[in-house]
Amino acid sequence: MTLLFASGRPGRRVAAAVLCGLALGALANVAVAIASPAAASGPEVREHVLSNGMKFLLVPRHLAPTVAAGWVARVGSVNERPGITGISHLFEHMMFKGTRTIGTRDYALDERLIAEQEALQEQMRAEMSAQRLALRRGEIDEIASPEAKTPRYRALEAKFDSLVAAQRENMIKNEFNLVLQKNGATRINAFTSEDMTFYFWSVPANKLELWFWMESDRLMNPVFREFYSERDVVYEERRLGVESTPLGKFRESFDAMFWDASPYTWSVIGYASDLPFITKAQADEYYAFYYAPNNICAVLVGDFDPEQALELAEKYFGRIPRGARPVPEMITMEPRQPAEKRFRAAAETNPAVTARWHTVARVHRDVPALEVLAELLNGDTGRLKRNLVLGQGIATSARAAQDARKYEGMFEIEADCKDGHAPEDLELALHGELERLQRETVGDDELQSVKNRYLTRTYRQLDNGFFLMLRYGAAEALGSWRDADRIDREIQAVSARDVQRVAQQYFRPENRAVAIWTRAADATPEDPALAGLPPEAKTMVQRSLARLDGLTEAAQVQDMIGRLESMGGQLPPQWKPAMDYVRGKAQQKLAELQGADK
Amino acid sequence: MIGRHELRSAAATFLAIAALLLVMTASAAGQLPGRPEDIKFPDLKYDPPRAADYRVTLKNGMVAYLVPDRSLPLVTVHVLMRLGPDLDPSGKDGLGEIMVAQLTRGGAGGMTAEQLEDRVAALGATLDAQMGGGGRGMMGMGGVPIGPAESRVSLNLLAKDLDAGLDLLTACLKTPAFQEDRLQLAKEQAIQQMKERNDDTGGIERREWSLLMRGPDHWSNRWTTQASVAGLSRDDLIAQHRRFVGVKNFLIAAAGDFERAALVKALEKAFAGWPQPGERPGPPAAPAAPPAPGWYVVDKDVNQARVSFGLPALDRYDPDFHAALVMNDILGGGGFTSRLVNRIRSDEGLAYSVSSRFEGGVYYPEPWRVAFQTKVRSTAFAIQLAMTEIERMRGELVDEAALQNSKNKFIESLPAGFETAGAIAGALAAEELTGRYQRDPQYFAKYRERIRAVTAADVQRVARRLLDPAHFAFLVVGKVDDVLLGDPKHDVTFTGLAGGEPTRLPLRDPLTMQPMRP
Repeated sequence: MTLLFASGRPGRRVAAAVLCGLALGALANVAVAIASPAAASGPEVREHVLSNGMKFLLVPRHLAPTVAAGWVARVGSVNERPGITGISHLFEHMMFKGTRTIGTRDYALDERLIAEQEALQEQMRAEMSAQRLALRRGEIDEIASPEAKTPRYRALEAKFDSLVAAQRENMIKNEFNLVLQKNGATRINAFTSEDMTFYFWSVPANKLELWFWMESDRLMNPVFREFYSERDVVYEERRLGVESTPLGKFRESFDAMFWDASPYTWSVIGYASDLPFITKAQADEYYAFYYAPNNICAVLVGDFDPEQALELAEKYFGRIPRGARPVPEMITMEPRQPAEKRFRAAAETNPAVTARWHTVARVHRDVPALEVLAELLNGDTGRLKRNLVLGQGIATSARAAQDARKYEGMFEIEADCKDGHAPEDLELALHGELERLQRETVGDDELQSVKNRYLTRTYRQLDNGFFLMLRYGAAEALGSWRDADRIDREIQAVSARDVQRVAQQYFRPENRAVAIWTRAADATPEDPALAGLPPEAKTMVQRSLARLDGLTEAAQVQDMIGRLESMGGQLPPQWKPAMDYVRGKAQQKLAELQGADK
Repeated sequence: MIGRHELRSAAATFLAIAALLLVMTASAAGQLPGRPEDIKFPDLKYDPPRAADYRVTLKNGMVAYLVPDRSLPLVTVHVLMRLGPDLDPSGKDGLGEIMVAQLTRGGAGGMTAEQLEDRVAALGATLDAQMGGGGRGMMGMGGVPIGPAESRVSLNLLAKDLDAGLDLLTACLKTPAFQEDRLQLAKEQAIQQMKERNDDTGGIERREWSLLMRGPDHWSNRWTTQASVAGLSRDDLIAQHRRFVGVKNFLIAAAGDFERAALVKALEKAFAGWPQPGERPGPPAAPAAPPAPGWYVVDKDVNQARVSFGLPALDRYDPDFHAALVMNDILGGGGFTSRLVNRIRSDEGLAYSVSSRFEGGVYYPEPWRVAFQTKVRSTAFAIQLAMTEIERMRGELVDEAALQNSKNKFIESLPAGFETAGAIAGALAAEELTGRYQRDPQYFAKYRERIRAVTAADVQRVARRLLDPAHFAFLVVGKVDDVLLGDPKHDVTFTGLAGGEPTRLPLRDPLTMQPMRP
């Protein structure tokens, strides 16, 4: 799952697992059950649905005088279409721009200025449309640079900027955040994923009513002011996360290759071509469909009285009318993949392999077994480290993840090559591990150890109310909040046969896509010592250094030096510097290996 | 017949009723406050945690912070140490970091690495070790607030297994095996990571910024190289372990499902009779070289530039520390309520992430730094906007509302820093390990009072004292040609701002860290 935040925060999978009130069993050196599956149960969650369809989940906990509060809209990039990809996430940003009350000195003036801005934007869009046509005809090379703007576009832009300046005079900048922060709210943020858009903050316990006031106000009366500058901010987020990173563009392409029909094929941030042209009218329409209270669930975890919270919920959110139109259903399904897909990328990265298989949606009954399978591969005791990193010694690290989304799922393994080993060899070894899981059932100890790790992880997640809030909100957005506890319970009941069955069912060659990553030749800056060499000598140096890189024994390096020296006399004089360079590097490596042996 | 008086009276009554109805209607519809300021909040009495309530001195002299919380059947025990890369011997860069990580990865107490890991996994426990901070976790939660010059070894498991867990933890600290194959793997992983040093602009920016601020001879800029890591031996690890991993350097932070007296007893037993006492090193050395003001660029073919600028500021004991916190919050540290975010992000849409950072040095003055990322052509314009805000901060008094908002934020959000027993134990223990507990034991107790005392004049004074642009170093990593080209829409150029051509810094060979041809 990809998470994009409203303000700079690291993305991370919201994979939490919580159980409590377990009877604890005895523990020996080998892995024995530390709880009975039947004893597992989640914390007490009170569910309440308002008459307008908005759901509330309440989990009172009185550890500290704070409340973690959030609401999730069941909408994400999976609900988009080409042309407006990225709108769910842009929309999330716009929800911090204020309301008819918050963020403006005079709403009537604000409304007028926004209407005038829209009229100008319409003309600017027509101008850009002509530019796109010119691009298709080959009359211009690109449309994104400042120089590509036509004189008319520039004139319109200048007028637009003056309207923005007028609006700015009438605004109270970022007042939404200002009100929250001065009242002691923390962790104010939101994220958008493929399947959901989640808004949250922690509030001091005595100020819970502020959460109800602010959130019901922005759900009822949002005003998308500064729409176009915020769209630019989101494009900067795209540059930051995708375009300016070593692998961002490649991963986007690999994702697009993996999904044939599912809207998961485009990224949450949206296409480079779509994002700069999303309109406010499209955002208004999106709001009307997906931000109706009947498509929203709120979660409160912390120091509050549930009765009082429900009273506030009715009072504040009960006044919002149910959506006038039904929420559109996402119906496109990923077809069964008929053949293996392969992706080769030379990039600024160490050599590595990514392998993916299509699996199942989050609510599918095979999810617990797939989770166990991932955990069997992961961690210090997992098979990837034990067999590929330590046993065969062909990888330096490897990890597996089961990513079950609302409509589809995938299982991914990534592994980094140890020097001297090709990604293709590592890929074969990965498949070998999965074939073993298909062939042999997992031993009792190994399986139980995985379940024990899962169980204690669930407790750790419970320690923090904020994670608990995210856990139930996210589970509700993907299906039902009850699934979070159900899947954790079912993980404790997964059998070795279940694991073998899902391994056989999903890890078939025709169901996978594999990316082979190699380091791009020009990604390593040239050493100044090589500057004067003829091109063919540089190629020889690069090949020799690659071979040297793979040597791990001093004797091997010694042998290479010997061969270099014997070749020295046969080479033309202009090659001598290249030979000296390689020999120098080899001697340096030899000294290191001998030093390490001491 | 109704007389004139009655008519007037009737009209008055009607008007009175109508007025009353209006009020009632307004009141019925307006049961909700019209603005957030109209909500009446009950008082919240909150006192931050006091060290005295949790601090215990064990029989062997070790200090422990024990914060019981019986709501979950879990216990966390962190053993903290003052142990950073500044203690690596010359030519052995990377030794401490690898040694600390190998405490729990290379076998211990007669167990092989595999046996130890199997045991930990079977308990469903976690047992790991790490040099350096970065432990604040997602959204600032979790972890222990230690910095780059400290280390931790951490155990988390079910309370009923605590004795078994403490045996494993102390075995790792006392008799680590530093198994050769695991050491070799750690070295390979470290060298592999080195190879990616020039791949991402973020990494390039971090190291060049550190160089500009602290100079090439400071310990924080002594990078690992292929040669330094390849040359590390098991004996090196053993020597470093013997010197620093001992009870004299341990400080414990424990939280979770335990009874205080019982845990004290268990810890005293677990840490009794330690073979080597170790030593608690003094504070890490401050940078000796002056910072290097000026304009610097590193060329990398990406369409977004990373920009950092600033200068060394002050440490956390400086009398202006709290005023500087507030000043920085208003200028660029306060997220969406700060001036830099308002101008560069909200007004102009030039950056997703923009901030000024000031945390106050733990041991010596650390930099105050503005950082943002923007499309390469906007670099000069965005820097100009930031400089205008800095000049404004120095030139004008902040208005009272902005001052109060900022101060309220610090004051009201204090409880959020101590939401869990683990957060309390970690924060208090880190205070003692890094020395503020000894120098300013009332820090948390007086925090709100000190923030309250900051005036607008303090804010301006501290901005003038700390933010002198003549001493700023400016660093940009991105496609330099486009940075210099700028955006014709704005009447500013990079060379115009810099007063000439910037200094071009070379990339460094990722394995030797020697400069390469620019």
